[in-house]
Amino acid sequence: MIPSIIIYGLVNSVILALTAIGFSLTFGISGVANFAYGGFYIFSGFLVWMLLNYLKFPFVLAIVVTIGVVGLLGFVTYWVILLRVRGIPLSEVIATFALGVGILELFRWMGFVTYEFTLPYLKKGMIMIAGVPLDYQRLFIIGIGLALVLFLYFFTHYTRIGLAFRGIAQNERTAISLGIKSDWTAALSLAFGSAMASVAAIVILPLGIISINTGYEVLLIAVAVGIVGGLESVPGILVASLILGYAQIITGTYFKPEWMMVVYLAAIVFILAIKPSGLFGKFKELEERV
Amino acid sequence: MKKGIFFSFILFVLAIFIGMPYTANAQLKPGEPIVIGVPTALGSIEGRDGWMAIQMAVDEINAKGGVQVGNTKHQLKAFSIDTREHEPGIPVQDALTATEKLILEKKPHTILLGNFRSEVLFATMDLISKYKLPYICCIAMTPLFQKKIVDDYDKYKYCFRNCLNSPYLAMYMAEVMGYIKKQFGFNKAYIIVQDTLWAQATGKGLDKWYKENGWEVGGYDAYALGAGDFSPSLMKVRAQKAQLIVTFFDMPQSGILLKQARTMQIPALLTGFISPVAPENAWDVFEKEVEGMVNMQFEIGPVPVKAVPKSVTFNQNFGKKWGEEARKKLSGHGPGPSYDSVYIFADAVERARSLDPDALVTALEKTDMTGVVGRIRFSKDHQVVYGVDPKETALGCGFQWKKPGTRVVVFPEVVAEGKIELPPSMK
Repeated sequence: MIPSIIIYGLVNSVILALTAIGFSLTFGISGVANFAYGGFYIFSGFLVWMLLNYLKFPFVLAIVVTIGVVGLLGFVTYWVILLRVRGIPLSEVIATFALGVGILELFRWMGFVTYEFTLPYLKKGMIMIAGVPLDYQRLFIIGIGLALVLFLYFFTHYTRIGLAFRGIAQNERTAISLGIKSDWTAALSLAFGSAMASVAAIVILPLGIISINTGYEVLLIAVAVGIVGGLESVPGILVASLILGYAQIITGTYFKPEWMMVVYLAAIVFILAIKPSGLFGKFKELEERV
Repeated sequence: MKKGIFFSFILFVLAIFIGMPYTANAQLKPGEPIVIGVPTALGSIEGRDGWMAIQMAVDEINAKGGVQVGNTKHQLKAFSIDTREHEPGIPVQDALTATEKLILEKKPHTILLGNFRSEVLFATMDLISKYKLPYICCIAMTPLFQKKIVDDYDKYKYCFRNCLNSPYLAMYMAEVMGYIKKQFGFNKAYIIVQDTLWAQATGKGLDKWYKENGWEVGGYDAYALGAGDFSPSLMKVRAQKAQLIVTFFDMPQSGILLKQARTMQIPALLTGFISPVAPENAWDVFEKEVEGMVNMQFEIGPVPVKAVPKSVTFNQNFGKKWGEEARKKLSGHGPGPSYDSVYIFADAVERARSLDPDALVTALEKTDMTGVVGRIRFSKDHQVVYGVDPKETALGCGFQWKKPGTRVVVFPEVVAEGKIELPPSMK
């Protein structure tokens, strides 16, 4: 039982990290909590499905097109919707949440509601690790999760756009005085975050079906992981994913599976009560010390 | 003083209007249609297919001239509304509001198909009693439905159900377990259900049966609606060396359980009911991973059974009307009873020679006809009787997915076309 818990706990943790990292990246850079994130996630799944089934695209091409389209959707969302409410957090949340709900409910209205919408595995088959069978898709999830974290690290430390991201995240006014364009950077951060939602959807959704309700759940996961780890902190997201991922598996295994969802909510309440910025968050650090 | 009297009068008139229950027009003028209301979860496969089956039956009856009410024939007209009750997070009140909207706007003479979720059915029964509309439920399965009718007959006598209920499903499952024990010597099961009234009632009923019949139950887990990770339970199944996984799920995400069990190579026979695994296209949708699963077909029809010719005809005609793609997607629960419900209602109207709700209740109680699901008769608690002989009762069946993608009926013996085989993970 223990090897199973270790392996499937890790898989679950990486799924949570992949699910939350795009949300965190956008918030960390632009300060925008993109509540359309769940909508973008499900849109990605259905777009791949439609490209594969209606237009008969090769799988790889469908993936590339989808990531590009969803990234562009995030970029356009900033200029069309968020620019007008920028700096008013409540309006940003309402605007993006409305967009997300709109996307999800549009698919429901179009009849994308049954079990038939599934994505293919990247590769079929499985291996045994310490006597525990693990399929290639879950291995891919672990690999892609790690690759994405490494990519983010190198991107934000060694590229001009990445450095601009960090500059805006550290101090927007100082960054502007050095010639970094705030709105362009924020729009790009939204595009990157949305593209990451797309990557997460493409690797995670083949494990089950593309369900509209998953869109709402993804948003809850992203918010829960972000609040526990610190919304703007990538290391925080990783640590929080490990904590929540293993807590869920242990709860499901040793207590009751119907309590697995409660783990997210309990973690949010607990962290907000003792450290509102999250384990690695800095946004309210000063207020917390006072 | 005068003002006080005036306002009292207005309040009195309003109270009469608000308190006065709606009654469907029992006297039809020539040319007026008989209206059927279908409030259900149209986004679920059961609701979608049930609604298509109802339209098919309505078209068939209309093509033959309609339904005889006294001396005149009347066409049928069906209207649906989406209650969305199968979705996680939709409050019962929302589904009730949708149902009441349909009743008030379309003024139906009967409600057919109806509720998907037992929790909603329970609340809808009060609405039905308020409007005095004959109601034949074709999806929701809680046994509390019957208890409510028995406890307060005068209030709830308008409610009937012609689909399978949880106790009958548990009865079928117990019979299947008998075969499995005899054939393979299995004696250890693990129960995984969704956290809803019907699934819990079935799971607990079977849990009790196992314990009384010398089986060991390795565990009993319930998952919230919308859950998408079943690995904790599957790990326990493996650790406890359970030979059977018994599942009861109707949510679309439940197909994930099957996929997870296959990828984790759990050496156990999957049985019970996973809604997405029942349709004919499941073999392709799940890329052959359904192989070996023994799934219940709550009511025959979508799985045609030669011993009941109407089930074969229904299957063929559904394909002709809605296309082969739609036929292959027919769900494991609801379509047969939904189709039959129109004929049951039409038969009751002709025998009652009226659309008066009380006369219809009396006629419905005396129903004895052969439908897609076998012989249809209501017991005193207004539940259609299910059993293993379609000449005597309505029929559900169990089938196993076998290569090259066919559903082979393995239960009950009278209609079985093959025997249960061990899945690839146990060979």
